[in-house]
Amino acid sequence: MSAPNAPAHLALEGVRFAHCAGRLILDNADLAVPRGAFLLLTGASGAGKSTLLRLFCRLEEPQAGAVRLSGQDITALPPARLRRAVAYLQQTPAVIAGSLRENLLLPFRFKAAGNEPRPDDTALAALLESLAMGDAPLTQEAATLSVGQRQRLCLARALLTRPEALLLDEPTSALDPESARAVLAAAESFCLDGGGTVVLVSHAEFAPARVAPLCAHLENGRLAWTRA
Amino acid sequence: MDAGVIDIAPWRLALALVFALAAGGCSLALKLNLGRDILIGTVRTFAQLFLMGWVLGLVFAVDSPWLVMGLFLIMATAAAHTARGRITEKAITYALPMYASMAAVYLLVTITVTGAIIHAEPWWKPQYFLPIGGMVLGNSMNSVAVALDRLFSDLRARAAVVEMKLCLGADAAEASADEVRAAVRAGMIPSINSMMAVGLVSLPGMMTGQILGGSDPTLAIRYQIVVMLMIVGATALGSSILTLIIRRRCFAPGDRPLLR
Repeated sequence: MSAPNAPAHLALEGVRFAHCAGRLILDNADLAVPRGAFLLLTGASGAGKSTLLRLFCRLEEPQAGAVRLSGQDITALPPARLRRAVAYLQQTPAVIAGSLRENLLLPFRFKAAGNEPRPDDTALAALLESLAMGDAPLTQEAATLSVGQRQRLCLARALLTRPEALLLDEPTSALDPESARAVLAAAESFCLDGGGTVVLVSHAEFAPARVAPLCAHLENGRLAWTRA
Repeated sequence: MDAGVIDIAPWRLALALVFALAAGGCSLALKLNLGRDILIGTVRTFAQLFLMGWVLGLVFAVDSPWLVMGLFLIMATAAAHTARGRITEKAITYALPMYASMAAVYLLVTITVTGAIIHAEPWWKPQYFLPIGGMVLGNSMNSVAVALDRLFSDLRARAAVVEMKLCLGADAAEASADEVRAAVRAGMIPSINSMMAVGLVSLPGMMTGQILGGSDPTLAIRYQIVVMLMIVGATALGSSILTLIIRRRCFAPGDRPLLR
């Protein structure tokens, strides 16, 4: 299944995935998401939407078929490089003990960051401001944030790794309206202004304000375009 | 009977069963459901120690390094098997590296103590090598079990944080560094705590045994200091090396976490 006339940035080719218990999630699934597209992936709870995102960043491994990033089989890429290119945001935001600054700079502690320059406090504060968190000081403990604020913090942290694609797993399911607006606006901006690819999983109806999304539905192991 | 030690007649040894009966009574009164374990433990204590006494007598008489090493390896395998039995996680396979690492690390520690510190001649002299090796294995077995159980349970409980770090570009070692540190600490703390209490709260077994056997208490103390330090070193090395080796088995190729 591919969007017409566009080379794929993220792709599944004949992917089969079943959980250990034997429940089939994807059955010979094909999917091609063009670079810069905004894909809305829908499906019932338990249909396997999160699993599909996890396949793209190799947190799950298919039993058959290939997962590709810009045409390259992702198993040929170093995992750290793949995951910095394809940023996956978990449904439940995870933070480390420490301040907002320590959380935002966490990706720069890993070897994969190499000599990438660390953003200074001004850049970090501006990023938080863009996600409607301008009132949270960088010295605040991350553990004191609400779930919505944590989700925005995690999105900011993911954006600092300069990914090519964002995989958002039900990013607004537990958020207050303000947080949900901020997260979705940032995702649209990543796609429109930054040219990045977004795959957003949602089981609820959601209509982006600024982008015309591709829409796909996952049901009984099959993917189908509902709007391409 | 040794000149300095009071003999324990068989019927007096049987009298010691009163303590096992007391433990069984507590289990019954408080419905602890430990009666069977206490019974099996008591029988095994008698059987295993009498068997070991007989084997030691044989090994001392034969005086062969191969026999000493063979017995040490059997003891190391039993220690690894016991430690493995205390770990509840079944999704990760780790038996072979665990057995091999425990045997190698504790053999090295025991050789260092008998050969370099006590300076036994030869270094495998069974009267020294086997009791010292037994103490290393007995104490380290517990620390390894605690460390690995903690590692597995933390990797499951904190799976979301480990995955989050992987998604930010961490490799498996970086993503699980906090869990590894916590596991090694948990394994080491009991032996460090016993260093704090020794001489104040407790008179350890080896020292007590030597004093009962008529040794000069200052010599017994020197031996005990060696033993305490040896146990801290062995538990640190054992828990660190095994935790680091077995941590790798908690991730599939592609740094994909297996515990969640």
